[in-house]
Amino acid sequence: MNAAIVPQSNGYHVGNDDCIELRRLHRFFGKTKAVNDVSFSVPRGHVFGYIGPNGAGKTTSMRILATLDLPSYGEAFVDGFSVINDPELVRKRLGYMPDSFGTYRDVNCLEYLDFFARAYGLVGRERTSRLDWVLGFTGTRGMAEKPIRGLSKGMKQRLCLGRALIHDPAVMILDEPAAGLDPRARIELRRMIRDLADRGKTVLISSHILTELAEMCDSVGIIEQGQLLATGSVEDIQRQQSNQRELTLRILDNSAEAAKRLETLGVVSNLILDGELVRFAFEGELRDQAALVAQLIGEGYAIAEVTSHKKSLEDVFLQVTEGLVQ
Amino acid sequence: MSEVLDVKPKGVGIDKATQFFAWLDDFCERFGDRVNPILVKETRQALKSRQFVVTFSLLLFAALAWTIAGSLSMMPQIYTTPSAQRMLIGYYIVLAVPMLLVVPLAAYRSLEVEIDDGTLELLSITMLSPKQIVLGKLASASLQMLLYFIALFPCVAYAYTLRGVDLPTVMLLMACLLVVGLLLTTIALFFAPLATGRTGRIATLLAVLLILLIAEYAVGGLSISMIIYGNPLSVQWVSYLVAATLLISLSIGYLLTSAAAAQLTPESENRSTRLRIASSVFSATLMGLAALAIWSLDRNSETVLVIAGLTLTMFWFVAGSLMSAESNSMTQRIRRELPSSFLARTFLTWLTPGPTTGVVFSLINVVVLGGAYRFLTSEFQRLYGVVPLGQRSYDVLQQLIVLGCSYLIGYLILVRVVMVVVRINNHPRVEIGIAAMVAVSVLGALVPYSVGMQLNDYRPYPYSLWQITNWAWTAFQANQGLLPNSTVFLITGFVGIGVLGCVLAAGRRVLPGRIATPEKVKHELARG
Repeated sequence: MNAAIVPQSNGYHVGNDDCIELRRLHRFFGKTKAVNDVSFSVPRGHVFGYIGPNGAGKTTSMRILATLDLPSYGEAFVDGFSVINDPELVRKRLGYMPDSFGTYRDVNCLEYLDFFARAYGLVGRERTSRLDWVLGFTGTRGMAEKPIRGLSKGMKQRLCLGRALIHDPAVMILDEPAAGLDPRARIELRRMIRDLADRGKTVLISSHILTELAEMCDSVGIIEQGQLLATGSVEDIQRQQSNQRELTLRILDNSAEAAKRLETLGVVSNLILDGELVRFAFEGELRDQAALVAQLIGEGYAIAEVTSHKKSLEDVFLQVTEGLVQ
Repeated sequence: MSEVLDVKPKGVGIDKATQFFAWLDDFCERFGDRVNPILVKETRQALKSRQFVVTFSLLLFAALAWTIAGSLSMMPQIYTTPSAQRMLIGYYIVLAVPMLLVVPLAAYRSLEVEIDDGTLELLSITMLSPKQIVLGKLASASLQMLLYFIALFPCVAYAYTLRGVDLPTVMLLMACLLVVGLLLTTIALFFAPLATGRTGRIATLLAVLLILLIAEYAVGGLSISMIIYGNPLSVQWVSYLVAATLLISLSIGYLLTSAAAAQLTPESENRSTRLRIASSVFSATLMGLAALAIWSLDRNSETVLVIAGLTLTMFWFVAGSLMSAESNSMTQRIRRELPSSFLARTFLTWLTPGPTTGVVFSLINVVVLGGAYRFLTSEFQRLYGVVPLGQRSYDVLQQLIVLGCSYLIGYLILVRVVMVVVRINNHPRVEIGIAAMVAVSVLGALVPYSVGMQLNDYRPYPYSLWQITNWAWTAFQANQGLLPNSTVFLITGFVGIGVLGCVLAAGRRVLPGRIATPEKVKHELARG
């Protein structure tokens, strides 16, 4: 019995298999290689962030997964079904939210959702209960009778998320869902996506707001010029790219001397002295960092404050990518 | 006591009414669940749209205005002399504008807007098939037509009571309006997804407008003539024309909706089989109507024979070149659906997608239709004692039919070869096939003629075997009765070799084979 099709209870999906899988995916438009040998998989119930500059191939890969385009070479699977050979079975399991709204004129929110519920083959009570759940989940119940035309961008995004969720898919593909949203709407969207993942839905999301992706994604993939440059959890990628941490020490009285001492130790680089503050890059684990600070205190330096942080997803992204577009 | 007695029946009445409305509501809900979702959505949209409100209001206002103005202008004779003609012409014009112009154009825009706004992509990943999308749009247009029709029905009935036009004519008029309106809507829906670029969109919109205006003018002219002068045709001819209009509308409607749906179908799915069946149905309908005309009408059925011949030649010129230019790539899913036994493959492979099967399918159709046409012309000569299609001899006519089919088949084979070359490192649209067909037929005539002119110092020279690819000159020679049978045999021989090559090239497809369906897919399909 497929868990994706028969949710346990009101939209919960179970299992620990890979729900999205790309195998050596290629997509060429003439001589342009929009997607070039991309392979990755996303386990059920995980949120996968797809990061890359404009024109990197994110939307093309997502459209292939959504059965809207065909790969030139390679395969893609959604919940174990091939997007090439069994698109109709994939569509049953897939909720796709493109970067454009795709709404109708002269239709209110309820009618819009009702139409898509019918288009997905939901009938009778099944449809009404599903509509009720979606309106509640996306917080659009209050505007059910309002025409779509007059909705704000944030509300339209909620409605589109509702549309993608209407048939209770196991897999959600969200292309730039947070683009153009205000901070509150972004936070709410993040909460909803995490909630969906907790219900066992697998989410593939692309975004330019990397700090948000780092917070909500279980794993990310960085793509540029059609090629997947790095994939894994944010921590894994940070570790793969570098084990470097950035340390700032506030040293009272003799910071210049302490800076010289640090340089002689040979484990720091890019050292900057700014009054009492000594900033430098440090190669090593947290334990090595603690040993360094202890050594300085042992040598009599008055360290009042220690600030340490690893490279952020943005730093990693900038390090991995070269800013090239096709 | 009396109060109690008064209240009880009221309560029962309310309960019954409530029950009835609850049942009605439930029935409507269940009915709504069963109908095409596009129809539900489009109806909701249309009833709220400005276009519908404005058109409907204008229709009512125009009908009311004409009723008052028309009746007053015919006073006081309206009481004594038959006055239906003038009133009916007015009502016809009021009804024809929305039915033949506004609704088809609205259907065209509706599908075009779906493509422009990206909602078609959202629809294509639902459970709705492209055919359902197209039929939903058509059903919505039909519903609007029905509303306009019902709104104007009392006016038409009023006109009929004024005497002067008989009931069959009124009914024929209304039926004609409805059938043509639906056919035009189908044509508009076929054109909507045809072009993707801005220039193409403008061109298709202009083409649709032109077709609608021509149809409005032509049908209007015919209808008004029929109202004024009555029906000049015999009962046999009227019956034949009604049947022919219905059958042709149905077969063209099937063909165009299949073509529109094929344009909306993703590349991974089978877009060809339904179109091929529709093409054969259309051809068979035309040929059947030509046969019916010969056997059931008079000598004037020659016109039907000529129209059927020309239409089928043009149709297979276009359809054959499109089929010969199809993409060769077939997903495993399409392969899975191919017939698996040898016998089924031998007869049904030609309906499966691909240029190899496409060209053979076209050749089979051309040969069968050519044979049927030869038979019909001989039947016409047997029944009426004259050779149809002009003053030529029977042998010349048969020669011309054979030559027409041979050239069509020969050029289609050449288009297939050209497209093989074009497809190397390219992914052209199937429409390129039409361009290739035009180029092949023009060059086939021009090149030998030009070479001959060059070799003869640009002086007139006689026809020779070097001109056998020149269809124009060869047909001219045949029409003059100057083409020896040996040349016709040579041409058909060459074409026969080409056909054999095409069939052999497709031979591998006929061999039995089976592509395994994954267990998980089988299980899901079994669950429905």
